[in-house]
Amino acid sequence: MLMLGYSSAVVIFCTGLYTIMARRNLFKTVIGLSLMEASVLLVIVTSGFIPGGVPPIAPFRGVAVNPLPHAFTLTAIVIGASDIALALAFIVKLNKHYGTADIDKIRGLRG
Amino acid sequence: MNIRLALSRLASMILCLSFGMLLFQGIAALDMDNRVTGAAAHYLSNAPAETGANNIVSAILFDYRAFDTLGESTVIFTAVCGIAMLFPRKQILHSARGLSFITRRGIGFVAPFILMYAAAIILTGHLSPGGGFQGGTVLATFTVLMCVVYGSGFESTHLPPWKKDLLESAGALLFAGVGLFGLIVGTGFLSNLSAGFPSGAPGTLFSAGSIPFLNIAVALKVGAGLSTIFYCMINIVEDRRGS
Repeated sequence: MLMLGYSSAVVIFCTGLYTIMARRNLFKTVIGLSLMEASVLLVIVTSGFIPGGVPPIAPFRGVAVNPLPHAFTLTAIVIGASDIALALAFIVKLNKHYGTADIDKIRGLRG
Repeated sequence: MNIRLALSRLASMILCLSFGMLLFQGIAALDMDNRVTGAAAHYLSNAPAETGANNIVSAILFDYRAFDTLGESTVIFTAVCGIAMLFPRKQILHSARGLSFITRRGIGFVAPFILMYAAAIILTGHLSPGGGFQGGTVLATFTVLMCVVYGSGFESTHLPPWKKDLLESAGALLFAGVGLFGLIVGTGFLSNLSAGFPSGAPGTLFSAGSIPFLNIAVALKVGAGLSTIFYCMINIVEDRRGS
């Protein structure tokens, strides 16, 4: 079960990395970035899991899972969301300025 | 597709696959002893007594690491500031007209329940899964829904940007005020039960000291911030369609 979580995180991470490396469209780059971020969060959450564990809400009926990764992930999700929104805003501006979101065609400094 | 592009894609695919292999080997080397150790073990065994909150994740976020959460809500604020500066903020006079009459009536019927859901998530954040971040996101979803169904003119008249600014600032001030209260009493910034916040009976709505206040503050910040981000972006979309 743990290995399944870790393996899917690796697969999602590699998909995001490939998207960033192979695609020239800036929107797709941001989508790849968000995929990589989601996979990292998946690794963090999976690392706190205990087989047969119960949610960390008192009173526990059994062994509770590690609550620390959940708290870290919650902060990271919000920061990631605002990060991606800011990146998308920049892309919208770039697209308006250059008429394209292709990273190869956006070159040079223009007024 | 020319051969050069295909070759570069193949090369990046091979690179990604080998990198994935490397990552997988690193993960396989992790020790999975399935025990909670360190600070987490302390939180699990002592958090209900020390903070009064049943939800340990909430206790960590808003009590043990509340300063961290304050910094994080500042990150949202910074992102909103950046987006609002990038896009010109002006009122939309003539915009999308919204959806059909049936949809409007249906959403009008559902709307109070969405708000109630958000309020329940925010106010019981110290008892059950949920809290300020999740409830604030539901609130932002509500404004997005209003914008889609009733048209963006409705949102700009009923929920203008200055109201959202006010709500966001109120959230930040509430968070900082709760923190400064601890400083004034003399127990430290953002201290909870030791600063004299009433602990209440564990498991009830009015318990856990300052955690419900911080939940409300974060919900205001997140809801208003995400809603402002959406409003700025929809502004641009409407602009382009008009020109």
